[in-house]
Amino acid sequence: MKVIKLVMVGFGAIGRAVARTLVEKSGSFKREHGVELKVVAICEAEGSVINEEGIELEKILNEDLKKDKHWCQKKSIEVLKSVNADIMLEFTPGSIKTGEPGLKHIEVALERGMNVVTSNKAPLALKFHELMELAKKNNAQLRYEATVGGAIPLINLVEKTLQANKIEAVEGILNGTCNFILSKMAEEGIELQVALKEAQELKIAEPDPSYDLKGIDTAAKVAILANSMLGKKVTFSDISIEGIEKITVEAIELAKKHGRVIKLIGDVSKLRVSPRLIDIDDPLNVSGTLNAIRIKSDVAKDIILIGHGAGPRETSSSVISDVLTTAKDMV
Amino acid sequence: MKVYMVLELEDVPGSLIRALEPISSHGGNIMSVFHSRGKKEEVDVQITFSVADESSLDLMKKSLEKRRIRVKRIELEGKRYYSKKTVAFILVGHVIDKNIQDTIDRINEIGLVSDVDVMMPDPSEKSSVWIKVDVDENKRDRVVSEVEKICKQKDFLFISSLG
Repeated sequence: MKVIKLVMVGFGAIGRAVARTLVEKSGSFKREHGVELKVVAICEAEGSVINEEGIELEKILNEDLKKDKHWCQKKSIEVLKSVNADIMLEFTPGSIKTGEPGLKHIEVALERGMNVVTSNKAPLALKFHELMELAKKNNAQLRYEATVGGAIPLINLVEKTLQANKIEAVEGILNGTCNFILSKMAEEGIELQVALKEAQELKIAEPDPSYDLKGIDTAAKVAILANSMLGKKVTFSDISIEGIEKITVEAIELAKKHGRVIKLIGDVSKLRVSPRLIDIDDPLNVSGTLNAIRIKSDVAKDIILIGHGAGPRETSSSVISDVLTTAKDMV
Repeated sequence: MKVYMVLELEDVPGSLIRALEPISSHGGNIMSVFHSRGKKEEVDVQITFSVADESSLDLMKKSLEKRRIRVKRIELEGKRYYSKKTVAFILVGHVIDKNIQDTIDRINEIGLVSDVDVMMPDPSEKSSVWIKVDVDENKRDRVVSEVEKICKQKDFLFISSLG
């Protein structure tokens, strides 16, 4: 049995969902993959829980981290520099201006030769190639499937299954909040602000929804995909961004009248995020919080992926897939 | 309407018949067929025929492409022929107030505005305008970049078609 030690940095919704899935599936990981995943540290802003023998996740999920007997004031960077672990899981909310605090966490872990699995978009949207170089230099893996499309296996699909193909274009709906709002506007003929309020009540939109509505979240994903799938050398600032805030209910109605719908599309080959018209029978026309992505390639032609692009439990699927892949690839 | 077409065919038995079928089945009246064998595996075949209208010519072209026959050149009445494409988009803003005639004229310099559909909730509020443009295939990008320029100058939101 291979024992893999994990450090979790950030214990919010995604961190907790990953911990829950680890508890739920630990038996099958041992049986089917021959891997025991042991969390040895959990870091939050105020301090950390550290137990090199393995933290009892079930217990910690039901209590305040600070009340755990292994709680200490050590900050994440200090923990990453001292703890003995194989993979760091980075789940902090990243600033798209600086990439921090996640960027520093990833750099410190990679410099120590620790593998990294992250759902944090900002560091990769800003410093994709620098981080990949750092990983290579230190003989570590950096995996980031959960940064784009939540549970949809997009990056790994291209890396592992479409090797024979040249990826010509990637385009689609990469933000579930915007898709929910635009779908509501089309289905119920309501104004954007009304649809937004409903999204907030359902916790689909944040209290400050600007990151989603202005297209920033989609643009960060476009930057990551442009680097990883199209081999471009770009950063977040290279993406042209127009969000959905100016879309009127009349524009939605006009589109409908002419057999189209309006969706916020991340157009990866054109490095562009903007509302676009798509045919009503286009497979990308999905509603609710779903994401839909079209990959155009030279041999396999068009591939459409549809799935849940957000949600902590759904995202934990991609995180754990990356953890298991990393574990298997570890010498 | 007189059409001159150059096709690239594989030099195998039956390929000329496969290429002529779509022309005759869409009402083409073949006037001449000329081909010369070179050293290549493909042969250029020059066909002159008459056709009733452009839509029949478009159908022929599509049918040839479906058969994976490469159409190298088409001339209609002596002029290079391009398939027509439709570009559809929606503009949101004070589209009417900010001289819609000028917007249409500028697009018409490249293609032809064939449909305009306006929704204006109130004269003081922003309008949403659906515009459809017929344009030669090779001028599609020019239409899009001209509309982008107009949107920047007049502060419109440009909702373009994907694909």
